[in-house]
Amino acid sequence: MSEQLTLYLHKLSPYSAKVELALVEANAPYRAYQIDLPNKPEWFASKVNPVGKVPAVTYGGPNVDPDDPSPLSAKIAESNVILEFLADLYPDSGLLPKDPVLRAKVRLFIDVTTKQVEAPLYDFIRGQGSYDNVLKGIEFIQGLLEEGTDFAVGDHYSNADACISPALARLKIITETDLGKFPVGMGYKLGEELKGPKFAKFRKYAQGMLDRPSLKQTHDEEYTITFFKTRFTERVQ
Amino acid sequence: MPHEQITLYTAKICPYAQRTEIALAEVGAPFKRYEIDLGNKPEWYAPKVNPASKVPAIAYGGPDVPPENPSPESTKLAESLILVEFIGDLYPSSGIVPANPVQRAQARFFIEVVSTKFGPNFMKFASGNPEGTHTVLLAGVDAIQDLLPDGVKYAVNDQYTIADIALAPFWARLTVMVQKGIGAYKDEERKSFLKALEDPKYAKFNGYVQRLLARQSFKSTFHEDVVAEIFTKRFGLAK
Repeated sequence: MSEQLTLYLHKLSPYSAKVELALVEANAPYRAYQIDLPNKPEWFASKVNPVGKVPAVTYGGPNVDPDDPSPLSAKIAESNVILEFLADLYPDSGLLPKDPVLRAKVRLFIDVTTKQVEAPLYDFIRGQGSYDNVLKGIEFIQGLLEEGTDFAVGDHYSNADACISPALARLKIITETDLGKFPVGMGYKLGEELKGPKFAKFRKYAQGMLDRPSLKQTHDEEYTITFFKTRFTERVQ
Repeated sequence: MPHEQITLYTAKICPYAQRTEIALAEVGAPFKRYEIDLGNKPEWYAPKVNPASKVPAIAYGGPDVPPENPSPESTKLAESLILVEFIGDLYPSSGIVPANPVQRAQARFFIEVVSTKFGPNFMKFASGNPEGTHTVLLAGVDAIQDLLPDGVKYAVNDQYTIADIALAPFWARLTVMVQKGIGAYKDEERKSFLKALEDPKYAKFNGYVQRLLARQSFKSTFHEDVVAEIFTKRFGLAK
């Protein structure tokens, strides 16, 4: 692969993190460029992603500086679309298995993660969601995990693992620090509940994901905790 | 390479299910088709095929059994877009999944836009939800038209792909409804929508959706009478 790949991301964005995890795990060369979301450079929307969100990728085209994107590069947005793109660029990386049934299982895991884990969890952290939906989602995703395997699907790290890992990292923060907009104590309560025998399979899987060097490389826990502290000062009742 | 057996659980009314039927027709795959009466689902369906109890679902592989007696040995898969990609993976030379990664990404992004900006609004409009106005529908049309390249037949290029498959069943059902005045929306909304689409600025979109509806794999899997009848029962006629 000689084509350039530039990832526009934000340190705190779990959606950006998914993509970066996949790049790191696939050993893919890339350039990362942080976009200051509250103060976006105007070229970002006009030249990279009209919707103005991260993650966004430019692929191919001449080797330009990231802050001077070329019209000749392909522009790709939406985290799950980018994950598929990376699997297409690196078909031997394991990001998607080669077997059609296993590919479908990875996609199903991603679909369930997006709808039943990410959405309820981020809503909950923002004080909008329900505690029960977070637990239900975790239980559902646990049901998709097979016994005795370290990965979501098959025996290799895939887009499924990349997709859920940033959510797992934030789950760890809220259960250990109780930081978030949800009612005081509900983070700790969630942590206690997840320690029960019912969630043993989930815990083992989650710990495996959190221990991976790729996660430590792409997730700054301290920075994220500091952000949560300043962002979520008001709690819902 | 011969594939394993495919059994598709589907329903003529359902736009999600039609996506998978179109894909199977496009690739020319042999499969067993089993109609699920969504108003009266067989009691074996959820426990043996799809716990979410929805269509479409595929039972893949395993022994050759009648569809109403699914085997625990077959792999059960669900979610229309995942099934369409699955069919594309089983038949890579069919071309429904574009050959190059950038075009694949374009197809998948198109599908995201259909799923977020068009699909939900179609149901809101049909069911008479006050948020389902002709303006909101047109915003979905705009979002889709903005992605259509110039001078090509379909969403990504001249090749018919998963992107087109994702939209066609939804557009077709909306068309049937607005042309026949079926739906719980106000008739004024319907008229405004149709009038707006006559504007020359929508020429590209109109040409595109015409081609979607003319596609053989679409026509052979679309049951307009069933759709009209069931939607009339469900939503009534526009007032």
